Amino acid sequence: MPTLIEQARSNKPAAASILPRAIWPLLVGLAIGALMFYVIGPGMGDYPSKIVLIAGINIILAVSLTVVNGFTGQFSMGHAGFMAVGGYVAATITYYGSMKLFGSADPAGGVLSFTGGADKPTALARWGDALFIGSCLMGGVGAAIAGYIVGLPSLRLRGDYLAIVTLGFGEIVRVLLQGTHEQIQPWRVEDALAKPVYELAISLGGPKGFQLLPTYTTLFWVYLFVVVTLIICYRVKNSSTGRAFLSIREDEIAAQAMGVDITKYKVRAFVLAAFFAGVAGGLYAMDIGAINAGDLGFLKSFDIIIMVVLGGMGSISGAALAAIILTILPELLRNPPPVWPVGLVLIALIAGVSSYRKRFRWKPIIVIAIASTLLEVGRQIALSKGINVADFRLILYALLLITMMLVRPQGIFGIHEIWEILPGYARREAARNGARGGSQGGKP
Amino acid sequence: MSTPPIVLDVQGISISFGGLKAVQNFSLKLPRGRLYGLIGPNGAGKTTVFNLLTGVYQADSGTITLDGVKLNGLKPHQIAAAGLSRTFQNIRLFGELSVLDNVRLACHLRGKHSIWSTILRSAYHMGQEAAIHRRSLDLLGILGLDSRAGEQARNLPYGDQRRLEIARALATDPKVLLLDEPAAGMNPQEKKSLRDLIRQIMRQFDVTILLIEHDMGVVMDICERITVLDYGVTIAEDVPKEIQKNPKVIEAYLGEAAPAAH
Repeated sequence: MPTLIEQARSNKPAAASILPRAIWPLLVGLAIGALMFYVIGPGMGDYPSKIVLIAGINIILAVSLTVVNGFTGQFSMGHAGFMAVGGYVAATITYYGSMKLFGSADPAGGVLSFTGGADKPTALARWGDALFIGSCLMGGVGAAIAGYIVGLPSLRLRGDYLAIVTLGFGEIVRVLLQGTHEQIQPWRVEDALAKPVYELAISLGGPKGFQLLPTYTTLFWVYLFVVVTLIICYRVKNSSTGRAFLSIREDEIAAQAMGVDITKYKVRAFVLAAFFAGVAGGLYAMDIGAINAGDLGFLKSFDIIIMVVLGGMGSISGAALAAIILTILPELLRNPPPVWPVGLVLIALIAGVSSYRKRFRWKPIIVIAIASTLLEVGRQIALSKGINVADFRLILYALLLITMMLVRPQGIFGIHEIWEILPGYARREAARNGARGGSQGGKP
Repeated sequence: MSTPPIVLDVQGISISFGGLKAVQNFSLKLPRGRLYGLIGPNGAGKTTVFNLLTGVYQADSGTITLDGVKLNGLKPHQIAAAGLSRTFQNIRLFGELSVLDNVRLACHLRGKHSIWSTILRSAYHMGQEAAIHRRSLDLLGILGLDSRAGEQARNLPYGDQRRLEIARALATDPKVLLLDEPAAGMNPQEKKSLRDLIRQIMRQFDVTILLIEHDMGVVMDICERITVLDYGVTIAEDVPKEIQKNPKVIEAYLGEAAPAAH
């Protein structure tokens, strides 16, 4: 019998399909980025499109953390630390790089990274964009290296112990970054040019944060990275590597007995997740135009963890959806719109899917109906009495989180992806596996 | 008839947990293509022997050699790579994963997986995934689980879970397969088909088997030689017929014969 590797060699698909398969995620990313930038962003107005941009950054963070917390089941509480490392690396390269290359710390991008200001550039993209994207990728690499350094010694630990180590890592990063030197202000370009690189690399603003960065991050770049991140994580999940990750979550001893080098795969997951967190950090820094390690402590890590838990541990689409919901929700609560239409849609969905599966479920429908009614009653009372809901929005946000966890502790999609719970998926999957039993491949 | 070469050679392994000598001076020579049994009362140290062989525990003394490779000090995944695979007494499937994915994961061991080819879905990666997929379905077919490929492993009936564990262990392409109580919890009909299955596997996969089992019907029927453990000590090692007559074994299982009443 030929070995697996020999079979794989003799089994290669046609050469013509290789390149398209490798680069289509990038093309889709460019297309969706352009769509967001040219159509959806302008259509929504400035404030909502800013929220959508932040939602995009949060999607990258939540989906990348899913690789560690969801796939391998390791509980990392230091994701914001990786974001900070990436953000500072990217900010340093962009800020001081701009000074060295373009002679000032002003944005030097094209239309695609035009974030407002006096003179709109005419070119679609300029060298500043290359510097920005390169610096974000370098931020990712920096965070990945940090992930490797943290991961290698600490991933022999399990559960709570690992959580504490990663928490400690996040705090160390924060304290180190807050202990850096004053940044060299944009109007003192000559000073920056005169200084050696290593000295620039530690002049990051200290406790005041790294400020006055050139802003480049637009919906285009964010959603380009969102799409690429989603597709890469999906490809990893549906591969041997991804199955090795999942097996570690399911049962470490069995995984080892089946030949999975669990330390190696935990480190891989950590490095991969840290890379995307680093890229997200770069996008975040060049969106706000400043980055402060003080904002990226463990509270930020918890925000990301909540998205992963809410989405369902191990579900990429769940984490992405939770990131969107949890970004938009606090903003919606400033001036809450009626929620009952959403409730109705949810009820219709649940009723449809559950009756399709011939297991009609009353409980979630009743819960949603009661919750929507209560929320609407509360909203009407608040409106009639002139109570400002925005004052209570963080309490409401917390209450909603508690409710969702009580109603659906496994997260929105559990470990499944959104398309896996749609009708007909099990049947198609069974057909793909060539299973002879027909309809037995039903999802529970 | 010449004896086939020894594939698994265990010499005098011992381990203690604190003051408890769980396994003492355990030795075993397992010739290629044979099926040996390991029996003993509850708590005799049978599963501890398996855990020592597969690297879950490290032996305090003694050597373990698999086909010329010394296994002492290797990690469990390296031992699996050397060609020793096992099933678990208390089933350890990847419950949330599908039946197919459980087997596909075990095929992982014999492939090469770079993160870049995974991300870019290189030709090699696609070819390998297809090969893994086919091989896994073949294995499931042999064990009669192919119609359940898409189900979550934890939803399978007990007997199917046991067979899935065997399928998963076979997917690592082992030289020696350790089966830890494969018949536990099975009804007589299932036990009979398990016996046939084990014989079929040995023929088809050219694999050597060491079996722990409490069900004497199964053990006496299929094992060529049996080692008996009691309190971590080997008390007998012989062919099934002799084991059945061995007074030490009877004593270990049934207790000392009562003195004759006067």
